[in-house]
Amino acid sequence: MMLQSVALAAPPRRAAAKLIVDGVSKRFGAGKDAVPALQPIDLAVGAGEFLSIVGPSGCGKSTLLNIVAGFETPSAGLALLDGNLITAPGPERGVVFQQGALFTWMSVEENIAFGPRALGRSAAEARDIAGRYVELVGLGGFGKRYPYELSGGMQQRVGIARALANEPEVLLMDEPFAALDQQTRELLQEEIRAIWRRTAKTILWVTHSIEEALFLATHVVVMTARPGRIKAAFACGFSRESDPLIGTTPAFAEAKRTIVGLLRQESLEAQRQETRV
Amino acid sequence: MADVADMITEDLPPARRTARRDRWLGLASFAAMLGVWFALTGSGLWPPLVQPAFLPSPLTVAKTFVKLANTGYQGHTLAHHFLVSLMRFGIAFAFCVVVGVPVGLLMGMHSGVRAALDPPIETTRPIPKLALLPLFIIWFGIGELSKTIVIIAALFPLISISAMQAVRSVSVRKIQAAQSLGANRATIFRRVLLPASLPGIFTGLRVSVGIGVTMLVGAEMVATSDGIAWMALTAADFVQTDVVLVGVLVMAALGYSLDQLFRALERRVVHWAGRE
Repeated sequence: MMLQSVALAAPPRRAAAKLIVDGVSKRFGAGKDAVPALQPIDLAVGAGEFLSIVGPSGCGKSTLLNIVAGFETPSAGLALLDGNLITAPGPERGVVFQQGALFTWMSVEENIAFGPRALGRSAAEARDIAGRYVELVGLGGFGKRYPYELSGGMQQRVGIARALANEPEVLLMDEPFAALDQQTRELLQEEIRAIWRRTAKTILWVTHSIEEALFLATHVVVMTARPGRIKAAFACGFSRESDPLIGTTPAFAEAKRTIVGLLRQESLEAQRQETRV
Repeated sequence: MADVADMITEDLPPARRTARRDRWLGLASFAAMLGVWFALTGSGLWPPLVQPAFLPSPLTVAKTFVKLANTGYQGHTLAHHFLVSLMRFGIAFAFCVVVGVPVGLLMGMHSGVRAALDPPIETTRPIPKLALLPLFIIWFGIGELSKTIVIIAALFPLISISAMQAVRSVSVRKIQAAQSLGANRATIFRRVLLPASLPGIFTGLRVSVGIGVTMLVGAEMVATSDGIAWMALTAADFVQTDVVLVGVLVMAALGYSLDQLFRALERRVVHWAGRE
């Protein structure tokens, strides 16, 4: 069985968790105009786990990620990293955005060196680190280029290298490959898997692609339509490292079928909300 | 049989050839304008179709330029008139950059500063600043100060508001990225907000260069005895149309070169602008 229902925030998992989301909800606005974005969410993510969050558009999955990143504060509940309350962004939580977050006025190397510099490393040290991560994400020879000289896929590599350069314990990724073409996306998925295996980071990955979630993650969370809550959570293991063609196996098809089934109702609900006047 | 797409692309000239053609077309329309000017004024080859008092020939204007450059106009050389005008513009412009840009940045970053400064700047912005010149003359005298201030009055709102808008349009994601990389407020300002605002600031500066040169003409209309616009205005009183044209052309050249200078600066300093 490669897709197994799990109680993500059950006490034994909680006890060993790196990252805990405890009853976090979010409303935008105040008074009677307030829009609920998230219903209370409970998550426990163990160190080294790769957790994918899938849900219909507008379900609040990015809001959840933003709360863990410290960009937004929850209306109720807590987010904890190693038992410490998350109140602001911090370098121990690296963030990779979908697109448009690179510093366009800096070269690739300067982008990657930004974090180490901000944390007080010397210019020479930061340059060394940048050089290493340029190589790591396969951009050797492009260090002096500017983001606008790179393709979309290469820009995302810079974003990943920039987040990694601070050696964060947790990586938060908000649909980082959504704007890329299929081939580039698959290639980068494999690389992010390889980086995750090598560095044992804890990864929180928001996506709307069910296949991406299944191929990459150790755990998949399915969210409901807005205001989002957790509809189902699974442990899974469909990595392509052991079998490059795992996507064609009946077990994969079965797993995908399960999640598509869950998401379909929610997408219909999301669409109904959008078209409601 | 070639397919339709091939046939269409075959008919289109390569981009470089198009660019070269467009450059030639631009030069040709300049040449045509000069040609019409030559033809209308006769240029000594045939009787002028337009009275020289209305439109002297290009040759006369060129001769007048040389004469003015050598012997000057009303006691000052052409270079003096030009430099005086450039200085009036330069002082006003420099003041607006040094004070207006930081004020705009502050307005963009702090809602309190914006709330305090935005209404006065916005409400005075539509007032034609030349209309205030008589008032400035009463307040600041007929010397250089009132001329500089009238130019500042026109440029300051433009420059500060463009700086404000530039800061406010910096993408939240870039700031969040910097925060999650561990940058403090000072670092975010210096390495993210400021560079990300530069393209918008530059656009404001370039627009205000054009307006600043225009304001110069107004500023030199009264109570002065030098300056390139003053020279043209005074010459007009004596129907010295050739001197007027020299003044007009010098001012046009000034405006054009300043604009080109800023474009070149822009390409160098903010080469990433508009390219995500």
